[in-house]
Order: sequence, then structure tokens, then C-alpha cells
Amino acid sequence: MTLATENLRKAFGGVVAIDGATVEFQPGKVNALIGPNGSGKTTFFNCVTGMIRADSGHVRFGGHDVTRKAPHAIARAGVGRTFQLCRVFPRMTALDNVLAAVRPGGFPKALRGARNPDEIERARTWLTRLGIEHLADVEAREMSWGQQKLLELAGVLMAEPETILLDEPAGGVNPALLDRIGALVRELNSEGRTFVIVEHNMDLVMSISDHVVVFDRGRPIAAGPPSVIRTDERVLGAYLGV
Amino acid sequence: MPNVSRRLLPLVPVVVLAVAILSFPSLAPNPYILSSGIVVLNYAVLATAWNFVGGFTGYISLGHGALAGLGGYATGLLVTKAGMPAFVALIAAAVLVAALAVPLGMAALRVRGASFVIVSIALVLILLLVFQSWASLTGGSRGLVVPRPFPSLLRPEHHRVFFFLYGGLLALALLTWWIVDRSRFGLGLKALREDEDKASALGTPTFTYKLIVFVLSATFTALGGGLYALWFGDLDPVFQFSVLTGSYLVLMALLGGVRSLYGPLVGALVVGTALEYFKGSFGNTPLHLVATGVLLAVVVLVMPDGVLPALAAGWSRLRRTSQTSIREVTAAELRDQRTSAASAASGSARSADSAGFAGSAGSAASGAGATSPGTDAGVSERASAHERSGGGGGKPDSPGRRDQEARR
Repeated sequence: MTLATENLRKAFGGVVAIDGATVEFQPGKVNALIGPNGSGKTTFFNCVTGMIRADSGHVRFGGHDVTRKAPHAIARAGVGRTFQLCRVFPRMTALDNVLAAVRPGGFPKALRGARNPDEIERARTWLTRLGIEHLADVEAREMSWGQQKLLELAGVLMAEPETILLDEPAGGVNPALLDRIGALVRELNSEGRTFVIVEHNMDLVMSISDHVVVFDRGRPIAAGPPSVIRTDERVLGAYLGV
Repeated sequence: MPNVSRRLLPLVPVVVLAVAILSFPSLAPNPYILSSGIVVLNYAVLATAWNFVGGFTGYISLGHGALAGLGGYATGLLVTKAGMPAFVALIAAAVLVAALAVPLGMAALRVRGASFVIVSIALVLILLLVFQSWASLTGGSRGLVVPRPFPSLLRPEHHRVFFFLYGGLLALALLTWWIVDRSRFGLGLKALREDEDKASALGTPTFTYKLIVFVLSATFTALGGGLYALWFGDLDPVFQFSVLTGSYLVLMALLGGVRSLYGPLVGALVVGTALEYFKGSFGNTPLHLVATGVLLAVVVLVMPDGVLPALAAGWSRLRRTSQTSIREVTAAELRDQRTSAASAASGSARSADSAGFAGSAGSAASGAGATSPGTDAGVSERASAHERSGGGGGKPDSPGRRDQEARR
């Protein structure tokens, strides 16, 4: 399913964070969204996922207009996300962090036990796959930053989204984990998931992305495969000022 | 045997509570002590009801006194003005308050943190003014006299009946809290307590969940307030719509532990008994308020999670037999792992079935759950998946080895 925006605009007082952004991400691919600090990437993510309401424009997912939908409705439609500053449920165990992403269903289904054996097994599978299964019973607040990043991703994956938005997955992680995250993204992408990644680490972006969109001053200034973006003069100008 | 005893352990507090409630009226030396017991049980019901909102969502309401007051007045008015039988009026009042809680919750739950606290205080103050001013209906400052539901009973018997009624209501509130606590709904509520935006991003309908639990809380609070009206028989707006009531409930829940089933009950036993003692010994002086303030400060400083969680944490520290390390893999360890993984791979390549193994590992890596930490297959899967990605150059760290490292 294609995630796309049309003339999306968001201003905070006099600061225009997103200025009529029209973007289409490639389904089934690893898309990267790059740009200088303050270019509106995270605000764009927040508008797309309903965390903040856009002033105008449209967000479409799989052809449906999700612009005015609540964040949980967009998540249920199939768009999962992580946050720039990694967010986990600190006083819940890693296992509960992942189980919290299970669709509860309506009432009285939601009153069923949260510890369904099938769901626990699925949650443990994701923890295993992300290499943190041994921390299943540890509270998230006791885990390291990198492990919290993996846990956050495990929670998102448990919800089985079709498209996953990662906001700076490499931020503050060690080289070993960076390798691991890159490999995971490619691995999960090969299973059919679409990724949109906001990232400043150009080595990671260029090595794992199929399609790169470059933002500057709240709007896309270039889009294409990494090999093209790498030499685009507008991109070099926006990033390096040359 | 250990499994059986572990399974029976949660029943211990249930049995203790049941025995305490059933035996207290017989053990109470005089009707005054029995009536104090009812006051404490009333606090326990209200604090448990408060804990549906405070414990599950983390929204601190100082306005629950207003919901109890509404329950009390609605019950009293339905008995006196509409001529309803007492306990039908009690149920009808709870339904009315639950219906009223929907728009109240829709307005109040739009704000978080300190703003929600202020809104909840505003609710109490507005209702106080309304019930004081609307004297033609509520009796105003003169109060509202509610006829006793069992006029033939003498005062001690009247107390005894209401003590058991409060015990039943408390059991129902605790049972409901327990059901919510272990449910998917409860897990969603706890998630939003931890991080509302994050819970929403994972697909939890946070506003709906908050509203449902607020209405549930209001219903039990109204039942508590209504039962009080039938027992005490006299309602005064100043006492029914008091911010102090909400503050007591917060203190009780915090003292016992907002994240635990019995926390508010334990808090109510301590604070409620202390309040009754202070009032009995020193009269209606501000002394009990000073003592309450000091207790609140001590709780927040010494046991921010409450008594029961502090005890549970101490117990689990004593019982913990294995330690889990959260240490991450360093770059040097990663290099070692890659080297050993490479030599393992070259070793297996020399074996007759190396090609077949690599192929099966590669395909297994695409299915969730195929990776088995701590096994060579896990290492190979991860390595082959990484190689397919073309990232990093060498082989990645393996979750299996990483687990083993962490467990050392």
C-alpha cells in the first residue's frame, strides 16, 4: 500500500515546518527521508501518523484519506512508527511492551486475558528476532538505550504494520547495533514491509535505501535512488551549502 | 507442590479480607467502633474506585469527592422526592452518575497532568456551589435528610447491615479492578499511563479507554456515596463536595500503591483509621489535616510507589536467583564474534552438507520465529540475512552469542 502526501502544510505560529509537501513513498521498498536539522522531517512523520494535525493537505495510505484520523486509527490501518527519542513503556517489562501492541478488539473481547499463550509466543518470537529475548522479564527502564530502540521496534512489529516509519533509528546507538539495525531493516523489508526512515547517518541511508527523498525547508527538493541523490547539486547545496 | 502453593498464594489476601469483614462486626466492642469501621470501608471503596482512573491511567483526580457527593445526593433525592425504594434508588443513582460521567469525562480527559487535576478540582467547587444554591431541591446548606432503609433496626444492627453491604461493594470493586488489570483493556490502560502518545501510535484508542475507565470509576464512586447517604442519613454539600475527600483518596491510594489491587485498601485502612482516631481523640481540629500532610510527604519521599509495591520489590529481591545482564556487545566483542562466526561457517562449509544447510538457514530467516538464540543456526541465519542485505561488510553480531555473553 502506498503512503503519500499531497500539499501537506503545518505551521507553528510563524514557523512553517511543512510547506506544501507532496511526497509518494515506494511500497515494498526501503525509503529514506533525509534533510538538514529543522527541515521538517519529524513534523512530517507526526502529521502522517496523526500525532499532530496538519493545517491543510492530505495524507493517503493505500488510497484512503487518513488526514483527520486519530493516531490509533492510522496505526490500525497499517502504519507503525518509532520515535526520534526512543519511547518505550518504562515501567512495563519488555514482554508487556510488545504485548501492548496486540489489537485488543472491542468489548467484551478486550476483557480477555492479556496473557494469551499464542500472543506471548509471538511476542517472544519478535524479542528473539531482535536479540533481546533474554530481557523479556526486565522492565524497559532498566534496559540500555540501544536495547530500548530494539524493544521499540519489536513493539511496532508486533502490531504487524504494512509500513513502518523509523525516526532516526541510528541515533545514539553503537556501531555493532547500527549494523544490526541495518540488517534487520533489509531482512524485514525482504518479507514485504515498506520502510520510511528519517536518518542523518548517510552511510546507513545509502547502504539500505532503495529510494531517497530529500527535505529542505519543509518540502521535498529531490527524490530518487541513492546513487542519484548522492550527486544531486540541490542536495549538496542544502546539506553542505555548496 | 511449589506450583500449587504459588497458585494459591493470591487467594491468601482474599481469605484474610473475607474473614476480617465477616468477623469485625462481632469483634467490634461498641457501635461507635463499628461505625468507624464503616467509614474506613467507605474510604476503601472510594479509594479503590479512584484507583480505576488513578492507578490504570495515571490521571490524578482530586474531584472524586464530587462523584461520591453526586451519588449520595442522587440516591437521597430519588428516595425523598421520587419515592423510590432505597436500594433501587442507589442503583438508579449510580446509573445516572455513570451517564453524567460521560460528558464530564469527555471534557476533563482532553487535558493531562496538572491541567486535569485543576479541572477535577473545578468540578468539585462548581457542584458545591450548585448544591448549596439550589436549596429548593437539595435543601441547600440545611442539608438533605435521607430516611433509613431499615427503620425497624436498632442503631447497632443498622451499622452491622451496612458494614456487610460496604464489604460486598468493596469485593465487587476489587473483583472488577482485578478483571480489568489482567485484561487486554487493562494492558492498554497501563500502556497509556506510561506513555499516552506511544500507546496511541501502537493502536490503542486511548481516549475511549480513558473514558470507559473514568465511567467505571464514577459508577463505583457513586455507589459508595449512595450507600453512605443511606447509612448516614444526612447530607451536607460542604462535606459531600469537598476537595479534601479527593485528597484523602489520593493519599490512600499512593500510600498503599496505585499499581496494586489491594494498595488503596491498605491505604484506606491506615489513613481512614488514623483520621477516625484523630477526630475521636482531638475533635474536629486541623490536627488530622497536619498529620495527613506529613504522611503524604513521607510516602512521596520514602515509598513513592506505595507500601505494597515496596514490600513486593523487597520480596522479589530476596527471591531472585538469577541475574540478567543488560550489557550490550562492544565493537571488540563484535569483531571476535564475526571471526568465530566466519571460522564456524568455513568449518561447516567443509562438511558434506554445507550448501544444503546454508540454503535452509537462509529461507528460515524470512519467517518470524525461525531464529533460535544461542544456536549455531541462529548465527548462520543472521549472518546470511545480513549478507543478503549487503550492509556492514562482515558478519553481524549474533543474537544467540549476544545472549550468551549477556548471561555470563
